[in-house]
Formats: sequence, structure tokens, C-alpha cells
Amino acid sequence: MKHQLSLSINGDPYEVLVEPYCSLLDLLRDQLHLTGTKKGCDEGDCGACTVLIDDQTVTSCMMLALDARDKAITTVEGLVQDNTLHPVQEAFVQYGGVQCGFCTPGLIMSGVGLLLENPDPTEEEVRFAIGGNLCRCTGYAKVVQAILKAAETMRATAS
Amino acid sequence: MNRFAYREALTVQEAVDILSREEGGRVIAGATDVLIRWRQGAWKPRYVLNIKRIPGLDAVSYSPETGLSLGTLVTIRTLERHALVRHCYPALAQAATAFAGVQIRNLATVGGNACNASPAGDTLPALLAYGAVCRLVGPAGERLVSLQHFFQGPGLTTLQPAELLVELCLPPLPPRTGALYIKHSPRATMDIAAVGVASVVSLGEQDGICQDVKITLGAVAPTVVRAHAAEAVLQGSLVDAARIQQAAQAALEDARPIDDIRGTAGHRRAVIAPLVRRTLHYAVQMAQGTELSLQTQRGLAVEAIF
Amino acid sequence: MADRTSLGRNYPRVDAADKVSGRSQYASDIYLPGMLMCKVLQSPKAHARILHIDTSRAEHVPGVRAVIAGRDVPDVRFGNGAVKDKRIFALEKVRYIGEPVAAVAAVDEITALEALDLIDVTYEDLPVVNDPLDALKPDAPLVHEDLPSYAGYKPTMGGNICTVLEADRGDVDAALAQSDHVFEDTFRSQGINQGYLEAMACVANVDPSGRINVWTSTQAPYQIRATLADVIARPMARLRIIPMELGGGFGAKLRMCVEAYPVLLALKTGKPVKLIATREETFTLSGFRLPTIVYIKTGVMHDGTIVARESISIFDMGAHLGAGVQSGVSHTLGPYHIPNYRMRSYAVYTNKIWAGSYRASGVADVTFAVESHTDIIARRLGLDPWAFRKQNAFHEGDLAIQGSPIPRNGLHETLEAVKQRLGWPRKSAEGMGLGLAMCQWRSGSGPSTASISIQEDGTVSILTGSVDITGTDTVFAQIAAQALGADLDHVVIARRDTDLAPFTGPSGGSRIIYSQGKAVQMAADDAKHKLMALAAEHLDVQPGMLTCANGRVYVTDNPERGYPLGQLARMSLTSASGPIMGTASLSSMPFAPIFSTQAAEVKVDKETGTVKVVRFVQAQDVGVAINPMAVEGQIDGGVIQGIGRAILEEVVIKDGKIVNPSLTTYLMPMAADVPSVENILVQVPTEDGPFGARAVAEPPGFGPPAAIANAIEDAVGVRLKTLPLSADKILRALQGEPPEATALDPDLLQRLRG
Repeated sequence: MKHQLSLSINGDPYEVLVEPYCSLLDLLRDQLHLTGTKKGCDEGDCGACTVLIDDQTVTSCMMLALDARDKAITTVEGLVQDNTLHPVQEAFVQYGGVQCGFCTPGLIMSGVGLLLENPDPTEEEVRFAIGGNLCRCTGYAKVVQAILKAAETMRATAS
Repeated sequence: MNRFAYREALTVQEAVDILSREEGGRVIAGATDVLIRWRQGAWKPRYVLNIKRIPGLDAVSYSPETGLSLGTLVTIRTLERHALVRHCYPALAQAATAFAGVQIRNLATVGGNACNASPAGDTLPALLAYGAVCRLVGPAGERLVSLQHFFQGPGLTTLQPAELLVELCLPPLPPRTGALYIKHSPRATMDIAAVGVASVVSLGEQDGICQDVKITLGAVAPTVVRAHAAEAVLQGSLVDAARIQQAAQAALEDARPIDDIRGTAGHRRAVIAPLVRRTLHYAVQMAQGTELSLQTQRGLAVEAIF
Repeated sequence: MADRTSLGRNYPRVDAADKVSGRSQYASDIYLPGMLMCKVLQSPKAHARILHIDTSRAEHVPGVRAVIAGRDVPDVRFGNGAVKDKRIFALEKVRYIGEPVAAVAAVDEITALEALDLIDVTYEDLPVVNDPLDALKPDAPLVHEDLPSYAGYKPTMGGNICTVLEADRGDVDAALAQSDHVFEDTFRSQGINQGYLEAMACVANVDPSGRINVWTSTQAPYQIRATLADVIARPMARLRIIPMELGGGFGAKLRMCVEAYPVLLALKTGKPVKLIATREETFTLSGFRLPTIVYIKTGVMHDGTIVARESISIFDMGAHLGAGVQSGVSHTLGPYHIPNYRMRSYAVYTNKIWAGSYRASGVADVTFAVESHTDIIARRLGLDPWAFRKQNAFHEGDLAIQGSPIPRNGLHETLEAVKQRLGWPRKSAEGMGLGLAMCQWRSGSGPSTASISIQEDGTVSILTGSVDITGTDTVFAQIAAQALGADLDHVVIARRDTDLAPFTGPSGGSRIIYSQGKAVQMAADDAKHKLMALAAEHLDVQPGMLTCANGRVYVTDNPERGYPLGQLARMSLTSASGPIMGTASLSSMPFAPIFSTQAAEVKVDKETGTVKVVRFVQAQDVGVAINPMAVEGQIDGGVIQGIGRAILEEVVIKDGKIVNPSLTTYLMPMAADVPSVENILVQVPTEDGPFGARAVAEPPGFGPPAAIANAIEDAVGVRLKTLPLSADKILRALQGEPPEATALDPDLLQRLRG
């Protein structure tokens, strides 16, 4: 039996009907066609489905859609403002943090989440912050560099 | 994967009523464990009962008289970052930092971790070593059960039908207390512990005498267990390197590890003593007043390369 | 001379902006009206006859639109390689747990799964062949009884042996007899999953005209087209394969795994059908690397010169011919000059999923063996492991194993670079150690095509059939921009599918930069010559007096006189030879080896056996780094995969069942587990590669297992010969337990010597 669900995604209000067993990830992708958020394992182990809920990163495959009632979700699509990439997105582009790109949205959300909490992280802190995001292509080095560079840019803009 | 139904409760009583009235329900908070088992086909609940909307169950409070109170919905991420937990019950914060990854920590709850009752659950050795007490609410009312007695076996708790865990209470600690949790696993994040060890040591006024000690072992028995024989070596005695080593060896007596995908019984047995020794060493240092930075604590907890 | 250069630029990947904003389309991102979801019923048995399949209950589930099984599809055998030993559905028997038996299309996945549960299959158990050593026994049950009747089969010693490869030179027995020292070791490596983040996914749809569209996650659209055409018995021209953005493949997606099921169901239902593999199905619906045993015997003189080598490799091939057996003859020499050798490599059938490809399949296993063995020899002889390698390493002109002389290359530069960076030799702190390994590979060849058109505004469009995995599209843009003197920002790679772009070989095997990139360079040169010819005509000069640079073609001595590329393109529309297009087509490229030297620094916890890699240095000869950032990224990724193979990863299979088909229990490195790789790019250009580039992407993963095993011995005196190098194994060795026996039975060795 489907239940009604109201929530906000990337600043837009949504009213949807979902099955109880529908995950937040499946709602985003299959119903709303916000396909930037990826399914890598469906068991919380890879982080490809990472989104922000009220500034906290979560693996959306591990949440029921119904659990997101009245929440504000940010997906990778929501980071682009006025056709401009978020500094973390821009840094991934400039510093080679993207290869196949499948882990990229999740990694970017984790990077954004980290910088919301800690604008001046060390390399070690970055590695632990993205420790729930599996990447098989980059070996992580350029991803870490990109997040550190994005942090630098964001601190400079803020000051 | 069956098509389960969805229920929500807005009060503890409502939750108990639903569980009493309708068979085949599973309580969800973070939902992480339930969704995984459901997708594997291991669990086929008739319905899930979401208790995350019940106000007040995510509170953290502390007083020197009553100790730390953790609502069942307190997330692992909160445990990791909350100043009170970090300062007063550091082994719990260390365990939280070793738990999966940030995303899961934002979803998973301390109550969920306890009710899942995995012998390897990361928060459980620290909770047990801190003497946690569970407050349960059910159709027959409220009762208190020590965490030790809460666990009955792998995945089994003493929860009665329609009973809910609503709070974990950690007693106050003596002033000169230190603690360390070490998780032994191949990776620094995301793994389930192959072996987990927590030691909480309180030193008396006279430097060097152990006033109280709790040593707990995870993933080496059907539930998380106390290493009583190890504790007996130190309790009331002068703490020195030799005693610590002796206690570490004695910890083996309470371990009954098995072979599984995460390790052999033999390997688990082989690492218990070194890990117990290390947790004791640092717990004693902290009890003596040595400050270990959060970074150092994390590094020790997850056997990091940094 | 060009004022601006596109070579050596860290130009951001052309697809990066789309990927970071979530706009890129992978196969699972396609949603079509009326689309059905497909699930595959897989065999629960490792080896059994199929007596009966009854799909009637499944067909009646509300929401199920079609159910198909072996009897519903053309009776065609195909293969991953030369031997045609596979079917898309098991027919008379199943040969591994996971083998597809039937498939369902339904309105959603949960309904399809309910239907799978209602398909009744009756099996009759057959004895299971669990590993190659059992499979090689004279009385072993046969995985393929009719093997000799399969197309592509070449007679071997029979039984469960699928393929044997041999390589010989000189007189190895005499040379061994004359050696001052003979060393013999056997190494075993484990099952490894490629670990691509994007599980297989495919959407199939049939147009009203009858054309079958297949949007899929693949590295090899033309190979998929050929195989599909074969198995569904339709002409290739009716099949359009659209390779979507690829979320990793590393070889797993070089061959058809899942495409046939949505295609057949789309044909049956008339609706679009989508299949998305689960993470578990990346272990059961697509092959991955299976365990390997490598025996090496080497003859060495007192002064450290290697004079003879024998090797026998046994590759567990699973139930169908897959990848890897080649490396048992191509890589067992290592990067060393050895004048006498005898190599034998066996692919052996067992009841497991086939041994899939993974970033130069088999070479990592063989390199683990060779480079561990190299260190063992050096240590026993009291020689420095670096000096021993240096002494025996190939020089230009030495014969490589396939008989070609080795052209100029940077092998020795990589050795020197690592030595210098490390300050080798140096003593390590307590519990820490350093270990070396050398890697070798060859730049890939194969059919490659490209066409380039210049738009009327001077922008450049490149069309190739390759799939961009490693950032090759960006490098193509750089190559074309460099060749044409065009602005890199104005070079576009066309979206392509098998209808649009001419045939090209698969994207894998280190092929794309060296071969496909060469085709791009040739096509660009072709376009350039045509531009210059047209300009020469209009300027009334010889083409040799012109320069093509900075977006123009102009008279070298009088730069004012010339035309921008766009104008020439417009002029060509009405010229005698028509609109300008540059094209190129090639089928093979000359031999261009790749060499690297790697070093791992490890810390071993002597009380728990835990090993951590705290530093990793590597130097690789990349020929010319057209895009250094992309090159480094490839190397970083390969090394970390190698570290995973060395200490973390293992697919555990018991009685044919995969115990850990999940990311919870199949452990790959996360960010907090590994250091940043220190990359040294050595650049010794190739003769023939585009602007001298060499292939890059496969070798970095070969070395870490041996480098780490060697570093562990350096650190704590323990030598492990099986992968992974787990804490359990290290601790037991430290505590004096004899290591796990790896040696093969001498009678078996003699039999396999052939």
C-alpha cells in the first residue's frame, strides 16, 4: 500500500506516493529521475548513494523514503547554482578527481558535508571523512587533493 | 524480499501498543540493519515500525551524579562528536569513530546497535565496559536490565514481545579514569570488527593502584563479554607493565572465538592479548592525566596508517 | 612551430563537468515509457543436469509479462574467447552456481523476483570439480564432456584442460644443469573481483522498424554487437549498441554478460526492458579472476646472471574459457633477459563462473610470482635486490618473449629513479621494510578507426568507436588539437554508437591511447593535409611552404597570408574534393613495451600481523605524457587496486559457492587505508605511438603484491607465497609456524611439462 510523502529536494517541494519498502535512493532515481545519485551496492558499503539531509551525509539506500518526510534533501544536482559548479565540484574537475564518475556524486556530497562541518581539514581528516566512499579508479589521491583545494578556495571566498 | 507494510509511532506507548496488537513487526530507527537483512531475504517483517518520530528519544544528558543518559535514537555520529561523550566516556566516542563511515553513523543509532546484538557491534564493548544499563518499556511497564544481561546470544536480546529499548544509562565514573577501544579489522573504515577490545581503568588516589577496571571483548564470543579473569589480575592491585601483560594474557580465558569470513579462531585468539595490553596501557596513561588528542585516539582505535 | 601546445597539459577531462553535476548518463539512468524490469534466475547448483524447467507458475504472476529459458532461444554456443563453450541459458546442464537458467520481465523488480521464486527447475546433481588440481586428475568429472566438438577448440591433453600455451627458447635443461644455483618456488594467488562501482546494466528496446537498440554498460560495443547477433540470430545491421557512460569495468565488461536477456525479453514483449545487476550479481553473473598457481624454476650463475627459467602456470578458468592463460607464457620471464626458457600455461575448467578479465588478466598473479622469486634469489645469494634486477633487466635490442627486439624504452630510467627517490639502499626502522617489484606490459594493438571533421566555425569534431574509460577522449582532443594546431577548447568528441562510428576494437588491454590515439593522430594529419592542400591551391603556393598552427593555415614566411580553419572548412564545401574529413584506419601497431619499477614501504605489527603500506613510490615509462594528470590518475588507481590485491581482497569460494559476494565481506581499499602514490613519470617516447605516447593504464597494478611481500620479508623476515598477505598468515609465520605448502606434486609437474 502506498503512502503519501512530502519532502523537499534541492529546494523544491515534492508530494509523492511511495511503497513502504521504497528506499530514499529508489525514490530519487526511479520515481523522480534524479539519477545523479547512484546505486553501487544497495547495502550501505560504497557511498555512491550519498546525499545530504539537513547538512548531514547519509547513504540513501539505507533509508526508507518514508523516513525522509518533511526533510530537506540535497543531491548532487542541487549543488549547481545558476549553472555554476560548487567549489567542490569545480575542484574535482580541475584536479583530476574524476575518472569513471560513478562514485563521484557520492564523493562530492561527502566532501561538501565535511567542509560544512570543518572548513580547514587536514589530509588525514579528509581521508576519514570520505572513508565511507569506495572509489576503484582514482586511488583517492587526486580526490583528496581536490577536496583540500576546494576547502582553500572556499576559505578564501569566505574571508 | 517481501512487501512489508509501514507503521509509525509518535510516543513510546503508541509503539508498544502497535507491537502488542500486530504480529510480525520490526522496529526501525536508522533502518540500516533491517534493510540489509530484508534485501538478503533473511528477514521478512509483516510491517516495520518507525520510532524515529518519537520526541525525546534522541537526547544526550549528563550529570556527575547520575552519569550519561543516551536516548535510544542517539546516532553514532552524535556519540562521535558530542563533547560530553568525548570528554567523559572517550571509549564510546572512539568506538563511534571506528563505526562504518560517516554516512552510516548519521543514520545508525546506539539503541539499534544494541538491539541488533551483534557480537562484533562497535559500540558494545565500550558500553559494556562503562557498565551501561538498559531501560526497557513494554506492555508490562518499565524495567532496567544491565547491558551484560541484555545480550543473550548472537542477534538475541532479552527484549520481550512488544518491548522497546528507550534509553541507555552509563553510571558516573571516578575522577582518574581512562579508556581506549581498539577495533582490529583489515581496514580503517567500514569493516565489522574481527576483534574489538575496550578497557576502562580507574586509578585510586594513590598513584598506581587500580581502583576499578572493566575489560570487554567483542567478536570473540556469542555476545560481547567481560574479561573477568583479566580484570581480577588488576582489580585493587598496583598497575605496572608486568601486571598489564599478565592481565592481557588472562583475557584469553573469557574468549571463545570461531572461524568466520572475518578471521579464524586462531588468529582472533592470537591478537587478544596484544590488543588488551594496548588498551590497558593507554587507559592507564589517560587515567594518570595524559591527554591524548582526538586524532591520536582515533588512530589507535582503528589501527590507522597515519 | 606551434605557439601553443596541447601536449603535456593537465587539461581537465572533457566529461568531468557532467559527471560532477550528476548529468552523465549511465545505462541504469535510462527510463523509457512502459519499461519492464528483468531479473535472471541463476543455478543454485555447481554441477547438475537440468531435467525439467516449468515456468508456468511464474508466467501467471500479475505484473509478469514474459518468462524465457533455454528452450526459447536459438541453439547457439558462443565464447568469451576462441573456444565456443557458452550458452546464454544453461541447456542440458549447469556448470556453476549462478549460471543463468531463465529470465523474467515484469512491471518492477520486486514482481520479477517473486516470479523467479515460482520457476520450478528439477536438477540431478553431478560431482563437482572444485579446483584445478582436482580437475587435472585422470578420473576427474568433466565440466565439458563435448569439449572436442566445440568450435575453436584446439586439442590439448584432454580432460578438463581448455587451453595450453607454450613458449620455448634455447635449451633450458642444459642451462639449468650448468647453473651454479637453481631456485624453485611455487606461488598461489587468490580469486579477485574487479570491483567496478557500476554493476552491469542494460536497457533494450525494439524500434517499429525492427532495429534493436541496446543501451549498455560496456567496454566493447562492437564485440557485444557481434556476440548478440550470433546468439539471437539477427543481422548485425539490425543491432545498435549504444555504450553509455561507463562506471568502471576493468575488463569485466569486455564481453557480453547480461545484454542478451533484456534484448530477448524486449523482442518477446515489444516493450523496453531494463536489467540492473545487483552487487551480488557482479560476482555471479559476470566472471572475475580465479585463483592461479605459478611454479618457477630459475638457474643463476655465481655472479648473479640469470641463465635459465622454467615456469608452469595453472589458471583456474571456471566453467568457460575466460582470460589470463596468456600471461603464463608472456610474463613469466619478467623484465629480464633470460636466454633459455620453457614456459607452459594451462587453462583448466572447474565448476565456477568463468575467469573474467581484470586489467591485464593473469599478469598480476604472474608478476607476484616472478618478482617474489626474484627477491628470494637475490637474498639467498646475498645480492642487493635492486642491483640483481638492474643486472638482469632487459636492454634495448634484447629479444622479448614473443621474439621481437625490444625497442628503446625507459626501463633503466625507472630503476634509477626509484633508487634515487628512496635513497636505496637504506635501513628501515624496526618493524618497517622496503620491497621492490618491476612491471612490464605492452601497448595494445588492434583495429582502430577515427574520423575528424572541421566545422564551418573552425571547431573540430572527432568520431571514434572507443569507450572512454581512462580519460582517452580528452587525450584524443589533445592529440587532434596538437596535430591540427587547433584550440583545445574547440575540439569535441562525438557521442557514438555502433551505427555512427566504424568498427573499433575493445576499450581495454592498454589499447586506446597507443592504437586508437594513433588513429586519431593519423586522421588529424589527414585532415591537416587536406586543409593545407586547399589553402595552397587558393594561395597559389606549394603546400610545403605552409604552416598549420594557432587555428590557421598560413604561408610560413608571410603569416599574414592564410586562412582560419573554419574558413577553409567553408571553402571546402564548394571545392573539387568536397567537405574536408580526415580519416584513418589501422589494424595493428608495432611492439611498444611498458616498464615500471615500484617500491612499497610497509609497517608490520609483529604482535597482530597487520601490515600497512605507509609509502609507495613508482616510476613508469609513459613514452610521452600527453595529459600528465590523467596519466598519474591511472597509475594511482592501478597501484591502489594492486594494494587491495596484496593485502585485502579475496573471493572465497567453498564447494562452488561464493561465500562473500558483497562489499561487506569482499574488502577493497578505502581512502584511509592507503597512502598517496609518489609518481615519477619517465618519458622515453615510442617510435610509433601518437606523439610518442605509450600505453599506461594496466601495469601499475601488477607490482604491489610482490613489492609488499618483499617489503614484509625485509621488515620481519617472513616470506609469504600466497595472496592475500593477511595478518593471520604473517602472524603465524612470525610465530614460527611453517608456511602454507604451495608446491605442486612432482608427477603433476612432469606431466604438465609436456
